[in-house]
Amino acid sequence: MHWDFASVFANTDALLAGAVGTVRIFAICLVLGLSLGLVVGLGRYSRHRLFYWPATAFVEFFRNTPVLVQILWFYFAMPMLLPFSIDPLAAASLGISLNSAAFSAEIYRGGIQSIDRGQWDGARALGMSFLQAMRRIILPQALKRLTPALTNRAIEIFKMSTLASAVAYVELLQQAKLIASLNFNPIEAYTAVAVIFFVFLWPLVQLTYVLERRLARDE
Amino acid sequence: MAYQWDFTPVLTNADLLAQGLVNTLKVTGTALACGLVLGLAFALLRLSQNRLASWPAGFIIEVFRTTPPLVQLFWFFFALPLIAGIEMTPFMAAAVTFSIQSAAFFAEVFRAGIVSVERGQWDGARAIGMTHNQALRRIVLPQAVKRMIPAFMERAIELMKTTTLVATIAYADLLFAANEIAQKTFRPLETFTVAALIYFVFITAFSLLARRFERRLAVSGESTVH
Repeated sequence: MHWDFASVFANTDALLAGAVGTVRIFAICLVLGLSLGLVVGLGRYSRHRLFYWPATAFVEFFRNTPVLVQILWFYFAMPMLLPFSIDPLAAASLGISLNSAAFSAEIYRGGIQSIDRGQWDGARALGMSFLQAMRRIILPQALKRLTPALTNRAIEIFKMSTLASAVAYVELLQQAKLIASLNFNPIEAYTAVAVIFFVFLWPLVQLTYVLERRLARDE
Repeated sequence: MAYQWDFTPVLTNADLLAQGLVNTLKVTGTALACGLVLGLAFALLRLSQNRLASWPAGFIIEVFRTTPPLVQLFWFFFALPLIAGIEMTPFMAAAVTFSIQSAAFFAEVFRAGIVSVERGQWDGARAIGMTHNQALRRIVLPQAVKRMIPAFMERAIELMKTTTLVATIAYADLLFAANEIAQKTFRPLETFTVAALIYFVFITAFSLLARRFERRLAVSGESTVH
């Protein structure tokens, strides 16, 4: 077996274009997923049926169906109901963001619930409204506890971004497919992409371990 | 004009969906069974005092936990056959990828479970003359496995969702069948909605089962690992 990575290096510009695509969809899904997740998480925490039930239905549905099915649904099925078509980036971002929102909602809810009851009572005694107490007292404490879990979620989103290749969005894996089919070098092309992901994500994974340990020590 | 829903094209192709579901369960079951056995082996290697055993095991676990599953699948389907000079069917590629990937996750569950068993259990087993392997098999693992069951079930659910990736290498799982029907009948909305609902029913049933089991363990005062 003769490995020849020169044919991969010759296509560095294609890989770079893919890397830009990967980072773009990752950033979109990270921001949308984690912020929508907070809203849904608050809904799950609420005692109002009007907030609780829709949030619960959302979480259950998006947690209990595969994210690739969601992406393909947004890409192929949803346009039937719309007067316009959906591009690959929009479909993949919708699927990954909503899926991540459902998972992070449960993280946020768990974090808010873990805050001691007395913190609420103290905030209310000072005359804060529910939202003020949530924003100024509860969330800052909860977020600190949630950092490792949310970092984990971010890593998952990064890995999920490869699914966008299923709807031919230009990201790293899609570009590897392209390079492999043009140069007949699937071994080098896919190995290169696997190494890129590993080199980028491994330090992040180690960071979550450090964060988890530090949190365990602090609490 | 409002969209006219029509589920008959999906119903007339129900046999394709059923076959797809069977194939989904086949990949899930194979990867689960192989992943458990391989995962225990990885965990024991990683816990070993010998660095020649623990480092390679740790490296494989890290690689498969850190890289995206779809990249792994493509690598095993498109690259490995050329390196090894073997024929690889989509099912084989899927079974191998998801078995090793599950094993990497299960290994960490096994390790956490084994480590969670009190030191005294080992000491007691050794005191009555058991070897390391006997103590592991007869004393430590039976206690550890019970604590690991919720984590295993959670992983099995993740696995079923991950198996949809095989549709991208043309293995006829449920998602692939749905895609075929959608293209054949020009009814993507109905077909993908039905496929999503089938996944939802299976995965929800499985998660409810897992939750019930976890509660029962909690009631009996058993600690669990994640």
